[in-house]
Amino acid sequence: MASKFGLAGGIPERRVRPIWDAIDSRQFKNALKHSTALLAKYPTSPYALALKAVILERMGKSDDALSVSLNAKDLLYKNDSNLMDDLTLSTLQIVFQRLDHLDLATNCYDHACGKFPNNLELMMGLFNCHVREYSFVKQQQTAIKMYKLVGEERFLLWAVCSIQLQVLCGNGGEKLLFLAEGLLKKHVASHSLHEPEALIVYISILEQQAKYGDALEMLSKLGSLLMIEVDKLRMQGRLLARQGDFAAASKIYEKILQLSSDDWECFLHYLSCLLEDESSWCNGATDDPIHPKKIVDCKLLHLTDEEFDSRILDASNFVQKLQADTSNNFLRCPYLGNLEIERQKLLYGKNNDDELIESLMQYFSRFGHLACFTSDVEKFLLVLSPDKKTKFLEKLRGNSRSLSTEPIKALGQSITLLKIQELIGNMYKLPVVELESSAVQMLEMYLKNLPLSKDLDLQESMHGEELLSMACNVLVQLFCRTRNFGYFMEAIMVLEFGLTIRRYVWQYKILLVHLYSHLGALSLAYEWYKALDGKNILMETVSHHILPQMLVSPLWMDLNNLLIDYLKFMDEHFRESADLTFLAYRHRNYSKVIEFVQFKERLQHSNQYLMARVESPILQLKQNADNIEEEESVLESLKSGIHFLELSKEIGSKSLTFNEDWQSRPWWTPTPEKNYLLGPFEGISYCPKENLVEEREANVRRVVERKSLLPRMIYLSIQSASASLKENLKVNGSMSDKNISSELKHLLGQYAKMLGFSLSDAIEVAMGVSKGQKSLEIFGADMIDWLNFAVFFNAWNLNSHEVVQPNVDGSGPCTWDIVNSLLKKCILERIGSMESHICCPQSDLPSLVQLVTEPLAWHNLVMQCCVRSSLPSGKKKKKSGSTDQSPLSHRVRDSIQSICGLVEEVAKWLKHHINRSEDENLDIILSSVRRNGQDEGPGQIFQILETSNASINETQLGDRISQALKSWSPVSVARKIITGQRTVLDKFLGICESKIKSLQALQHQMAQV
Amino acid sequence: MTTIRRFCCNDLLRFTSVNLDHLTETFNMSFYMTYLARWPDYFHVAEGPGNRIMGYIMGKVEGQGESWHGHVTAVTVSPEYRRQQLAKKLMNLLEDISDKIDKAYFVDLFVRASNTPAINMYEKLGYVIYRRVLRYYSGEEDGLDMRKALSRDVEKKSMIPLKRPVTPDELEYD
Repeated sequence: MASKFGLAGGIPERRVRPIWDAIDSRQFKNALKHSTALLAKYPTSPYALALKAVILERMGKSDDALSVSLNAKDLLYKNDSNLMDDLTLSTLQIVFQRLDHLDLATNCYDHACGKFPNNLELMMGLFNCHVREYSFVKQQQTAIKMYKLVGEERFLLWAVCSIQLQVLCGNGGEKLLFLAEGLLKKHVASHSLHEPEALIVYISILEQQAKYGDALEMLSKLGSLLMIEVDKLRMQGRLLARQGDFAAASKIYEKILQLSSDDWECFLHYLSCLLEDESSWCNGATDDPIHPKKIVDCKLLHLTDEEFDSRILDASNFVQKLQADTSNNFLRCPYLGNLEIERQKLLYGKNNDDELIESLMQYFSRFGHLACFTSDVEKFLLVLSPDKKTKFLEKLRGNSRSLSTEPIKALGQSITLLKIQELIGNMYKLPVVELESSAVQMLEMYLKNLPLSKDLDLQESMHGEELLSMACNVLVQLFCRTRNFGYFMEAIMVLEFGLTIRRYVWQYKILLVHLYSHLGALSLAYEWYKALDGKNILMETVSHHILPQMLVSPLWMDLNNLLIDYLKFMDEHFRESADLTFLAYRHRNYSKVIEFVQFKERLQHSNQYLMARVESPILQLKQNADNIEEEESVLESLKSGIHFLELSKEIGSKSLTFNEDWQSRPWWTPTPEKNYLLGPFEGISYCPKENLVEEREANVRRVVERKSLLPRMIYLSIQSASASLKENLKVNGSMSDKNISSELKHLLGQYAKMLGFSLSDAIEVAMGVSKGQKSLEIFGADMIDWLNFAVFFNAWNLNSHEVVQPNVDGSGPCTWDIVNSLLKKCILERIGSMESHICCPQSDLPSLVQLVTEPLAWHNLVMQCCVRSSLPSGKKKKKSGSTDQSPLSHRVRDSIQSICGLVEEVAKWLKHHINRSEDENLDIILSSVRRNGQDEGPGQIFQILETSNASINETQLGDRISQALKSWSPVSVARKIITGQRTVLDKFLGICESKIKSLQALQHQMAQV
Repeated sequence: MTTIRRFCCNDLLRFTSVNLDHLTETFNMSFYMTYLARWPDYFHVAEGPGNRIMGYIMGKVEGQGESWHGHVTAVTVSPEYRRQQLAKKLMNLLEDISDKIDKAYFVDLFVRASNTPAINMYEKLGYVIYRRVLRYYSGEEDGLDMRKALSRDVEKKSMIPLKRPVTPDELEYD
């Protein structure tokens, strides 16, 4: 804050300093004391008031802070003699910003600028205010004024950036770019340019208008501003190629490669220019910068056969030359270049697969030992037919007898061989026995090579770590194929073993997160997830490994932490992003200005962020559903769910971004929606993840659309149920019966539509299922939504004037019965279907949890309302007449009893599982992985693991690895799994018990009515 | 096989596999963005085939007079691409920019005193331990301030080791 000292509004610095010191050291009371003294002496000083507002805001007294700062603002406006100093304004700005009143800060600066039109400092303050509000047009206007005032290049560029932002992120038409160009042109003519970033922006403005020739001219004129030669050449090459001057462009790329021969991207550009492939140069608006495609189709339309041959020959010669010119053994580009040339020839019909395979073999002999070999060649394998892929693999295998004599290299080559096998994706065709031996081979190779890592630091990755991930993949494949749970457990054991040897391998942790999730040991999965330490921006990219499972789990506390941390991170970024953008303006890094704004938008449209915004209040509603008063205050804080309704409406047209890192997901669950372990075996062992975004997007939209209706429907259901037994609802000025009823009906209609039915048809389906006339299967994957629908429908029916009444003989529909019966059917079916053994992945548990914590909980709320309204109390006068024994009271009573019985049933089931002895569970787990004399099935891997620490050669392995091996205990892993599963069940039991308590209290209250 | 280019915001969403490695710190957003806003030439990323992030370096240039210097804040390489001298390449780039564009006197960096593999690597690249900073890392572990003189420091004065260790509050820059 030191820079803020000076003579502010006529107050000497020595009087202000103690206040700032106290604020900086968070002694707010002390600061307030000083401030009161200061105000006694300068009661009308806006600065003194602004300081007070800062203190009040820091003390959490937002309302007081706002009123004091408004006071200061008024004084600032009124008092003509007062100095409009930037210190006062910026202090006020701080408060207004923290109070979420950016507009007020802008007003102050706007006013000040009006009063002192030629004050540059104030204008910069105003510009900054517009940056914070993302008002690009006003930014532009202010910057132009500053430019006119002092003629400095930087202000012109501020204006140009503001124009570019209108086009890229606002709704400004492309014509504006022409205006920006004109401004720059004029300035360059008289003053030239002096900043490299100014040139970059100028060129981007021209490029966006496809004026490549002009851009090139500018580059040749002012290119000396760009200090990094390669950067300049890259720009030149790109512009030439976009212009269609491929010959010149390829020469430029050749030049770059001579300067840095390992630049792979540049090589691809070089070749595409040489072959005049336009497809890589059209503006790729549809390209996703976060998940770039692995392969770009090329269109070689123009070249004749002879031309193609001669160009390819040129390329080959150039590559040979690059290879000859280097003595650096690490340079891969010139060699991979050969493969690209062969690939192009193949695509052009100039050679056959065998030549590409031959080049792959050559590349293998040079770089096959590197961990990146497989990802280097992935693109080339994709163009081979399945047969040829297998042929390549066989050739590699044939080659394996001539592995390097250097052990580390030989290990690398062997791993590559296995990785290629995995990548080719035909593992599912192999016989079980072969898969088993493949897993065994991987584990043995890992163990055999442990001595190579003897001298490595614990923090360094060890040689052969990938082998255990691969072994896990094979074991899961075996589980998928045979449904023999032992393989699944072995997959877990292999990874836990690896983490015992070195606890930092994140790849193992991610696999375990998914395996434990599938097993129902979610608390354990969450532990490993936390061990990944995915903080800050990693929350955006790695949360998908755990969040979807947590959303349907009873681990509410952990889920709450996940959501809070994530939302806090994102919201904090949105708050501070504009200030960082201004920092880029100030440091004249104009290209970063554009980048920052676009990046903020990208995060704002994150599908995960949207989901979290919807799920977070729903979690709160779940957590408080056993107590109607608490639920009502949650709903009040959610403004009765109004905002979420908007979201549900908008979601269809909202653009969404997907920033998740899919690459790290295991093969069996390439997206959260897909889990190949759940369904029948589909013959998949490797799944490219590129094409899954569309499906995922549709799912996100569907979920958000439905879920964001929930808070409002819960609110209306509560209102409706309350009104059903009250004479008049308008007690607190709330909605009238009619409005509730019609809005809820409208939302029910929407909900039904989302389920694929009209309202009346949906009602019929729900009734049909409840009566057993239709099968539960009709609900499909939407079961929870159907039950929610039934619950809200019943609540609506309580108060609607289009009442659906049972017939006099009770044969017709009763909406209470529909809910009771549906809940009963679904819950009992779930309980019945879950086997009573720990070794069975509890795939039905999440839906059971959802049934109890969502529709059942919402129904419980409806019942609580009914009971509350029918109770005699001080506030609510007992209704006259015969409500006591009304049919409604009966129905409520019956429903409470039925639901309570149901939850008790769930609790009983949970207790049965929780109370089983640990030894019994341990036996089940361990016997699944022990062979017990059988020749086939799981057990080989486990046996190797179990005996791995039987004979440890400490001199070979070194102290650290020996110690780690000694500490390996499969039994404690098994115990951990049992505890993990139990924790989840315990939490669920806790939820059930709380519901039982709440329902019993209702029963008790009803008895008094 | 390395395309080295300026780091951009979208790379933050793509460096996951590099940053999950436990030796690589994931800073908060304003930290990255401040570096991008102020020293974009000191923040570079290396991309391999298939647009995979291989590693990156972030740094800055600061100081007065003869202590005008480049600083390496972080340099990291994904395990898949280690042992290929990529870190060296990234370091050389930053040194080059400090030397030729900003005419700095030296480049420095801080490393955990326990991180032997990294210290060895920096020594190979010509850095010397200039001084020890007591309890530099979260008040627990000592840090080593390592330096390498650039061409402007003809006599290599900037890398003559200090005799005694310093405490974090004696440091001129964070």
